[in-house]
Amino acid sequence: MGLFNSTILEVVIGLVFVYLLLSIMCTAANEWVAALTRRRGETLRRGLAQLLSGQPIQGAEAPDALIRAFYDHPLISSMIHDKNHPTYLSPRNFSATLTDIITGEQQGRMAFAHVLEGVNALPEGEVKRSLLALLRRSDEDLDKARLAIEGWFNDAMDRVSGWYKRRTQVWTIVLAAVLTLVANADTIQITRKLWTDPVLRSAVVEEAKARAQKPRPTVSVEYENEDDPTNPTVTRNEGNQVSDKERQVLGQLIGWHSDWRQTWSWLTPLGWLLTILAISMGAPFWFDMLNKVMNVRFAGKSPDERAKTPEKTESTVRA
Amino acid sequence: MNSTKRLQVFLLITALLVSPNICRADITVALSKGFVNKVKDKATITTKFNIDKHHNSPNPIGGGSDDGDIHIAGRDNVVKLPMVAEIINGAKETSAMQFLLDSTAGDEVPLVGVWRLWFEHPGSEDQVQGGKVGVPKNTNPDHIFEFHPVVRFGDFDVLNSFGPIENEEAEFRGYSAEKAFGTYEKRPGTITKSKTAIMITSNKAGFNYAEFQMRLAGKPKDVGDGYMVFANVYNADAKKNDDPVVEEARRMVFVKGSKPADAVKDLKKGDKLHVLGIPRVNLNMVFAIADGLKADEEYSESLPYEMIIVAILKD
Repeated sequence: MGLFNSTILEVVIGLVFVYLLLSIMCTAANEWVAALTRRRGETLRRGLAQLLSGQPIQGAEAPDALIRAFYDHPLISSMIHDKNHPTYLSPRNFSATLTDIITGEQQGRMAFAHVLEGVNALPEGEVKRSLLALLRRSDEDLDKARLAIEGWFNDAMDRVSGWYKRRTQVWTIVLAAVLTLVANADTIQITRKLWTDPVLRSAVVEEAKARAQKPRPTVSVEYENEDDPTNPTVTRNEGNQVSDKERQVLGQLIGWHSDWRQTWSWLTPLGWLLTILAISMGAPFWFDMLNKVMNVRFAGKSPDERAKTPEKTESTVRA
Repeated sequence: MNSTKRLQVFLLITALLVSPNICRADITVALSKGFVNKVKDKATITTKFNIDKHHNSPNPIGGGSDDGDIHIAGRDNVVKLPMVAEIINGAKETSAMQFLLDSTAGDEVPLVGVWRLWFEHPGSEDQVQGGKVGVPKNTNPDHIFEFHPVVRFGDFDVLNSFGPIENEEAEFRGYSAEKAFGTYEKRPGTITKSKTAIMITSNKAGFNYAEFQMRLAGKPKDVGDGYMVFANVYNADAKKNDDPVVEEARRMVFVKGSKPADAVKDLKKGDKLHVLGIPRVNLNMVFAIADGLKADEEYSESLPYEMIIVAILKD
């Protein structure tokens, strides 16, 4: 019997299935932590603080006067509910708020001269220097000045995105490590169990088959207006949920024994490390891998098994 | 477990863990339904394009990726996805090239370009229209959507770039119809929808340019900014009685004002052209498929595609 359609292939299916379920759990935990720590909003707050702090304004000499005025402005304060910092701020809103604060009591239609006058009137500070540099490049054109301020904000937000991404990656590794240790998800131990217990292996492969029929764990997106692709709300589909049956099967492969020394060996830390690495690759990757391995197994079925399968499948529309 | 089996298992686990580098992971792009409906039967998109990074000279002309293109990475205000604009035959568009060299990072220029959704450089993260688009770090960042070829850049009409990609020393040729269309036909595609968005999932694609003979299956249809026509695809040197390389006719897209469009607009069923084309996702079919799906249903088969015709080639 060849490699494909053998115990080894079923062990691989089992491993991929376990990694997939653990990755789904890790993603859910990461989202929970992100919501709990208000990670997105807090990262944006940090970015705005870096951009606007250290700048007094006329009549308020405190170094955080500009950022306070920014948050007190109705365009921004209307976005803050229950003291939760907004998770998104459009460049247009940023620029409108900032120019409104700078031009102060100015009446009528805003002109470039009003903005320049307002910036010149600011007490010395980092923001004043940055704004003057931007205005000098704007050919005394209000639209160009607005675009330059929006560009300045966008550049800062790129840094914010970088921080957010790095923090999320760090949290993924941390949560993968916590999940692995709490559940004692040791790749080597799981492999051993799958190898030595044909009944368990068969049950895992059956569940893996069912999982492969489910939708890929992916994003679903909604917009406030389908004709205006801005401010998307991204949610995760049902492929991101672990069923009770899957949990049950998983429970037979991972977990702590009452006498932990029975499962402990010098290879255990290596097994944990392999699991942490695998989880950090993410659920969509393991779902695709599961489908690929299942296809290999399907291609290697015995003639009897193959006879039971329709020769050509219709276009797959999965509910 | 004997030692040979143990080694096999160890190697398989290792292979699984290093596989992200050798496997093509699926990536999802989410587009608003209104956007898909708006562009599905259009050749081009008109937008304002923020220039972030660009080539200082066009790609050389030769084989593979030496396709003579100028790459400009940036952000735009219509598509709102990571974006690259590509002017083909860059060496011939000297005015546009000079304009590009004179620009500074962050400059916003008006741009008309053939929209092209294709998983050529998908990267490793899902892309959501209207989500945060960072400043690209090089001229070819991870992107699924691009303007390729560009039709108008700033004040410069670059329609003359729609022609054979050649210089005095070399001519760029696409992959043979059999090879290229063989892979286009087998591209995996998953389509899902929400109330306001359509999600398309696929993995990294290859075989960018194809050289083939197209035989019209009907009359070209004027779509405002271009012509679209269904045609059967044959190898470039196909004889009259040869079989097509693809069973069904595929939609071909021509940009109005370009030489290929001038050549096709008055043709009729059965007429043929020897062309160079690049594939893009057929959003007309994607929209129709998504429209037919129930909530939580998923279409999973081959990715619908059509061809953008960039040049008429000599027989």
